[in-house]
Amino acid sequence: MSYFFQLVVSGIVVGSIYALSALGFVLIYKSSRVLNIAHGQIIAVGAFITYALTVWANIPIFISLVFSMGITFFLAMSVERVFLRRLIGEPIISVIMVTIGLMSILDGLVYLTPFGSENFSFPEFLPTTPIGFGGVSISWTQMVGVIITIIMIAAFSWFFKKSTVGISMRAVSDDQLASMSIGISVPKVFGLAWAMAGLSAAAAGSIIGNITGLNFETLHAFGIVVFPVVILGGLDSILGAVVAGIIMGLIQQFASGYLDGNWGLNGTGGVAPYIILLVILLFKPHGLFGIHEIERV
Amino acid sequence: MKKNRKIFLTMLFSAVFLVALSAPAFAGNVYKMGLSLAITGPTSDAGNPYAKGVEDYFRLVNETKILGDDTIECTIRDDQYNNDVTKRNYEDFMSQGIVFYLNYSTGSTMALKKDFEEEKMPVIPASFHAGNLIDSNYIFLPIASYSAQAIGLAEYIVKNNKKGVPKVALFIHPSAFGRGPVEDVQKAVAAGLKMEIIEVVEHGKDLDNTAMLKRLMSKGVQYVISQTVQSPVATMLQDAGRLGLVATSFGEPGKITFVGCHYTGGNDLTALAGASAENFYWTTSYIVTNEPSAGATAQLALAKRYGRDDKAANSHNYANGMMVAQVATEVVRRAKAKGKPVTKETLYQELLAMNGNNSFSPGTTVGPVTYSATDKAGVDTLQLYVAKGGVFKSIGKPFIPEYTSKIK
Repeated sequence: MSYFFQLVVSGIVVGSIYALSALGFVLIYKSSRVLNIAHGQIIAVGAFITYALTVWANIPIFISLVFSMGITFFLAMSVERVFLRRLIGEPIISVIMVTIGLMSILDGLVYLTPFGSENFSFPEFLPTTPIGFGGVSISWTQMVGVIITIIMIAAFSWFFKKSTVGISMRAVSDDQLASMSIGISVPKVFGLAWAMAGLSAAAAGSIIGNITGLNFETLHAFGIVVFPVVILGGLDSILGAVVAGIIMGLIQQFASGYLDGNWGLNGTGGVAPYIILLVILLFKPHGLFGIHEIERV
Repeated sequence: MKKNRKIFLTMLFSAVFLVALSAPAFAGNVYKMGLSLAITGPTSDAGNPYAKGVEDYFRLVNETKILGDDTIECTIRDDQYNNDVTKRNYEDFMSQGIVFYLNYSTGSTMALKKDFEEEKMPVIPASFHAGNLIDSNYIFLPIASYSAQAIGLAEYIVKNNKKGVPKVALFIHPSAFGRGPVEDVQKAVAAGLKMEIIEVVEHGKDLDNTAMLKRLMSKGVQYVISQTVQSPVATMLQDAGRLGLVATSFGEPGKITFVGCHYTGGNDLTALAGASAENFYWTTSYIVTNEPSAGATAQLALAKRYGRDDKAANSHNYANGMMVAQVATEVVRRAKAKGKPVTKETLYQELLAMNGNNSFSPGTTVGPVTYSATDKAGVDTLQLYVAKGGVFKSIGKPFIPEYTSKIK
């Protein structure tokens, strides 16, 4: 039974980190209907900034994380201002193509630094003895990762539900023209959405980097790995990202734990989430919590 | 006056013309070579120090006149691990008239195999995939193949397992690079290597390997042989450490002993996994710089001479790049010593003759480089290392796996 519970706990841990990684996609899509293909690169950049501040500038890791989130906040905001602001009103495909170009630019910039071709790991700052209960174990790094994820998702949920700016962002997401007519600055909302996505990416990158080590290819691949989570959750729902993240994490662990190595199966942990994604999308094409828009003509 | 001026100008132009003609003779011959590899992009953590090793050694050859007045001009190009770019680079090198080619990845080596055959171009890749040698006459592996490495690890497991038939899982990269040794290890088992392969796990981009590790434990797996790159191994070791599964001594009962081939270990693994890399067993044909040897001294001196940082200087992939440049230089030197012209044909002949008394000891490897028409894997000898205190240390003496010849 402890085997089952270990898979459940690991699934929830992995799923939470997926949810945090997916959050950046959701925040941008929610406000601007743009899918940021370069999100994985921003995740990696966030992790590298945290590392640089921690190891090279000798700043305690939690303070580095806060600084890193601040830096990626302004970095992502600048990216939106420089590259995407002028594309407001242009076809969505053009905007997506720009984010693909942005991905290449960020790749190139990272390759100019040691992070592009070297491996690093964060210094140990938490106890190495795992937390164990009833035959189930979880590392301190994972536990802290889950706590940070919960805090961030709760903060973003509160922000969108209660704060004036958050409500403005939801209004823009719902209807840009109507929002403008009541005085909301749509460009500013877009900038803020990107900035918040940058902030969440730094948190996600730093947590992943603490678990896997800092390897650029591994880190930026998470932009693709979490894609099924984003689609399954419904693209514009924070709750959807959380639920889909945990579903995907659990499916991966159960598939790997119960299917792989049996009946000639192998690698189902990587494939099963996509199969489940397809099945769910057959019945719910907008994802679990996606808004089903009805157009009247 | 006018006549004198005419004579003076004629003499001057004649002198300039003669100097211009004789200049190439004074400068010596230039032998062109090419290297296409991932300096950036996937696997660049290996490719980057590899490129530095190649570049630095050829600079040393030219500056210290190892080939006399002759020089090697090796163009190094980044292909970002993209086979199409590698092919383009290779074609460009061919048009420049290279006499020797250094390649990198398994995929591109396999993809360009026919081109190498058609062009009769001697090639040393950074990929040790045994499949590179099938239907190929011109590809030469620098060291023992991944298959030989995995079989060597399997043999070590069988010899040192404390009780019964060892139960083993293979943890591999989902590509030709990773899958390469699986069939050969299975053949070795079929040929009498007393080991049970419980499972072959192809990893993905996993954030957590708990399920896989728990599953392997439930099946009684005692050893995991990894044939992949460092990053997935680092994640696996961290999870195994958290779950308390890592054997602290080889074959410790009730735990898993983790072992791996060339690209799974070294200082890149310790950089990624930190303390979790402790007790990871690793095999390669290269020396490590934390153990004194003439090769280690030469490697560190080379890196220092060209201002490389400690990370590159101590990388086994820097040694890897340095070693292939050493082999390329040696065949040029031998061809010249015999009075042959330095062409791809003569260099190929010199590679084939590199055996017996003519084997080559670069110092950066744990055994000599030997090639022949039937043996295109350079260094047959392997060394087992274990991570202790953040560095890899030798265990026992270099060895040659027995079953690699038995399964041929």
